[in-house]
Amino acid sequence: MTAKFANYVARDTESHGMPLRYAYPPYPVGWVSREVLRGYVDGNDPITGKPLIQEMVDALIHPLTDEEKNPQIAKRPKRPRLLKKDTVENYKRMFIENGWTDGMPIELPTEERVAEMLTGTDHPPDEVLGMMSVTTHEERYEYTVEKVAVNAVMAGARPEHFPVILALAAGQEPSMPSSTTSFGRMVIVNGPIRKQIAINCGAGAFSPFNFANSVIGRAYTLMSFNFGNARINENFTATFGNVTNYNNMFAGENEEESPWEPLHVEKGFKPEESTVSLFRGWNINHLGMGTGGQMGTSNRMIDAMNGLQSIIPGGTFVLDPLAAKHLKELEGFKTKGDFRQWLLARIKKPQEAFRLRVPATISLVVVGGEWNPMFTTTDFVHTQTVSIDQWIPKRGIRFDENPIRMPSPVTCKDGSCWL
Amino acid sequence: MAEQDILENVLDPVGQPSGIFGRISDPTSKNTGVVLDPYRQPTQKLTSMEGQLMASRLDTLDGKVVYLVETGFQGAKDFMDQVAEWFSREMPAVKIESRSTQGSIFTDDPALWAEIEEKGDAAIVGVGG
Repeated sequence: MTAKFANYVARDTESHGMPLRYAYPPYPVGWVSREVLRGYVDGNDPITGKPLIQEMVDALIHPLTDEEKNPQIAKRPKRPRLLKKDTVENYKRMFIENGWTDGMPIELPTEERVAEMLTGTDHPPDEVLGMMSVTTHEERYEYTVEKVAVNAVMAGARPEHFPVILALAAGQEPSMPSSTTSFGRMVIVNGPIRKQIAINCGAGAFSPFNFANSVIGRAYTLMSFNFGNARINENFTATFGNVTNYNNMFAGENEEESPWEPLHVEKGFKPEESTVSLFRGWNINHLGMGTGGQMGTSNRMIDAMNGLQSIIPGGTFVLDPLAAKHLKELEGFKTKGDFRQWLLARIKKPQEAFRLRVPATISLVVVGGEWNPMFTTTDFVHTQTVSIDQWIPKRGIRFDENPIRMPSPVTCKDGSCWL
Repeated sequence: MAEQDILENVLDPVGQPSGIFGRISDPTSKNTGVVLDPYRQPTQKLTSMEGQLMASRLDTLDGKVVYLVETGFQGAKDFMDQVAEWFSREMPAVKIESRSTQGSIFTDDPALWAEIEEKGDAAIVGVGG
């Protein structure tokens, strides 16, 4: 491991009860010359101050210590359900200083508020939903329906949002996996619940103009702090971080204006089912402009995807409905599948998944308000689609008496903006 | 709710430590209604990760086969090449076998581990970070 990760490794070793032997070259080993790397090999481990290569040799020939032969796993104690009593002012400070929030104001999760949130599902509060970690190897933290409700309250959500938040938790996938590369996230909802709880699928869907999009997307990241145990500079190593994690590009697919079958139907769900789909990647190029010429939009999409620097093969195009209609009606792509195969045959990426034309490599999602035939190009890959319906109460979504709604986005219904 | 009001019914937002490590798919999970992408999901079961201890050390590296395994992180292969050159220069009695793991940096390579177990005496794996 490089020296930058010495603390990370120490924490990992303690957690696993497996004191592997490490030697730490300076950081970074990537993007440096061979001469620099030779200097690392001939030099000292910056953590221990000892010759690096001798440490590596010694690690192979020095006998195991008693501690190494009898490793112990550090047990973290169970956490009490309630926090110690304190003032409102102190609680607000405590939640921020303990790293339980994104730093913005929260609703304190009192028993009354959490009980109200729990009316948004029939599932019992003590039902275990799963486990999560922002790393691939650290201890996962287990969470119940009630714990999800606590984080939903903190995010400012209402009971009508709770089924979607439960579905996100059921995915057991943190919104921001730990990586120096700084993962971004996109969340897309399909099915009837989009309209029922007023999720924005149209104009400005990724902008902060919608209550449901904001609070549900925020709840996802609060759960990643508190269930995924994200700790900056300890187990969370993103160099830049990623601005998408504030609400995780939460939006709905504009099924009503899309000329193609919805995303969740592609994934095997029925049109009348509600689902939430997760996408993970890094790069977003928002300004992709289609054209009216033959194959103009599709060729520009290929150029945009080829221009993204990505590590993992794959990508997702988010299309304004006008761009999607253009592709179907003017360029002849009758289905998403037709278009996907056409793209895979032409995108020039070195990764095997593109070369082998694995269908899951490219996703197509229709979002937007029909202002122009534009598209957004991302290197996000679809990771999973989770059912929401199982979390909705049998009597239906639990709405407030007077549900909160922000101003609705303007939509183009008369076709005058179909350029 | 005033700032100086005292509350004694605020819930802890943090999950419970589970004692289970790693983000490995659990095929016995009761969680239904989830579609996972089989192309990228690990398939190793949790049980296969338990009870692993460190291997005994060697008395000497002379005449031994040491695998240098680079795991695909940026610069790892170049670094391991320098390590191999050092062994060639300073400890020529050690037989070095250089390998790269197959797949991405996030995927396991059980075939390589089997090869090392069969043919190797020791392994240096890196560089992470």
